[in-house]
Amino acid sequence: MTKNSSIYWNPLLETMDREKLRSLQLKKFKRIFEWAYNNSPFYKKLYKDAGIEPGDIKTYEDIKRVPKIDKGMLRNTQSKEPFPYGDMLAVPLTEVTEFRQTSGTTGTPVYQADTWQDWEWWSECWAYILYAQGYRDTDRLFLPFGYNIFVAFWACHYAAEKLGCEVVPGGVLDTEARILKMQELKCTAFAATPTYVLGMADTAMKIGIEPKSIGIKKITCAGEPGASIPATRKRIEDAWGAKVYDHIGATEIGAWSYMCTVQKGLHVNEAFFLVEIEDTETGEIIEEPMKNGKMIITAFDRYAKPCIRFDSKDVIRWADYDCECDRTFRCIDGGVIGRADDITKVKGVLLAPTAIEEVVRDFEELSDEYEVIVTKKGDIDDIMLKIEIKPGCESRKEDILKRLKDQLRVKTNLGYKIEVHPFGSLPRYTLKAKRFKDLRKH
Amino acid sequence: MTVDDKIDKIDEKIKEIKKAVSEIERLASDIEAIKKNLVRLRASVKMLELNVSDVKMVM
Repeated sequence: MTKNSSIYWNPLLETMDREKLRSLQLKKFKRIFEWAYNNSPFYKKLYKDAGIEPGDIKTYEDIKRVPKIDKGMLRNTQSKEPFPYGDMLAVPLTEVTEFRQTSGTTGTPVYQADTWQDWEWWSECWAYILYAQGYRDTDRLFLPFGYNIFVAFWACHYAAEKLGCEVVPGGVLDTEARILKMQELKCTAFAATPTYVLGMADTAMKIGIEPKSIGIKKITCAGEPGASIPATRKRIEDAWGAKVYDHIGATEIGAWSYMCTVQKGLHVNEAFFLVEIEDTETGEIIEEPMKNGKMIITAFDRYAKPCIRFDSKDVIRWADYDCECDRTFRCIDGGVIGRADDITKVKGVLLAPTAIEEVVRDFEELSDEYEVIVTKKGDIDDIMLKIEIKPGCESRKEDILKRLKDQLRVKTNLGYKIEVHPFGSLPRYTLKAKRFKDLRKH
Repeated sequence: MTVDDKIDKIDEKIKEIKKAVSEIERLASDIEAIKKNLVRLRASVKMLELNVSDVKMVM
């Protein structure tokens, strides 16, 4: 154990020697592979068809031979028994205690089954996140999300309880009521999507409350890449006077990554997950830093509906730096950079929607909301950026637009049409925002 | 005590808890209140295994 063991939830794993960590990953991969092979009809068929069985996984290299799964396969299996999860299920239905589903933004929702042990595992993963972000039993954490069928911050709730925090569930309250409750109870932290965190600051101002006066010390963001985009994080930190930390997770996967108090990259919880980054063109696994690829992920300890080599389509890259916190869990740089199916060629240039966000959020004169619409006129792609100028800044409109166009060209190598909308008129989101619309595909 | 010794000791205790859970289950499998609370206990024990016993695999 290291001298600073108090900053770690579990120093045994978080500071484990890299070689041992890799060896642990191989052993845990074998364990979940064997479990899935023996208990899930879906996986058994998948692996038998590929001619691979548990005894074949001997080295780290062998993992690459294991077939990947994707969201389409998760959806298809749902049409089979047992209802409603299908034959990927690896435990008797009577052991399932939790139902959650994906939001369905990319198609039919995926239904996720968890046993109580899996649910405990979910909150254990979140405990790593919260502890690394400085949450302790002195915190009063407010959770402003609709406690419903989406996994959202459910596991955050249970993990915070595990840490000994006092948890205030802000479920069915509206935004105003949530702000008033946070103020009344002197909450020290809250967790939400970056979009909603910014929206809450707006609403607070509208009802005459300066967000900074509430006394929030830290905010954990998830659901969107915003908190890993420096301009967006700065905007949130300036609005709330709090430290902002990112976290990445997904319903089908679990809570696999977190920013620690150093606020540099995001650590992958490599004791609980195997993250592989695949070159989208060659299919090779990328080990070198700062090279983008799509994430293939395995959750080692989720048993009801195992997640083994799941092609998440999230584009990420390994960082080229070590974190000062001394965790040996490798970092990814910049969070989720985009979706393999969102990063698209426009006018022959590869465009990641996060690059646009980085530019827009750097303009103090612009509101938090924007929208990007890509269309095709004849053979020519067209990008329209819709923005709002903050009240009081309208007189500088021409200067703002010129600087914005210049910055966008520098950052993305593309020209944009910009449409200015009245302040407050673009859609506001409470969960995941859908700001990038590629209408060429429809 | 070295870290490895400490892990060994904790792991032994975890095994003892698991054994105790199984014994209680055997004694009281007809009592729903015990059976269902043991499910929760097992899940918590599993988290101890993930955090400590798994480390033994690479010691």
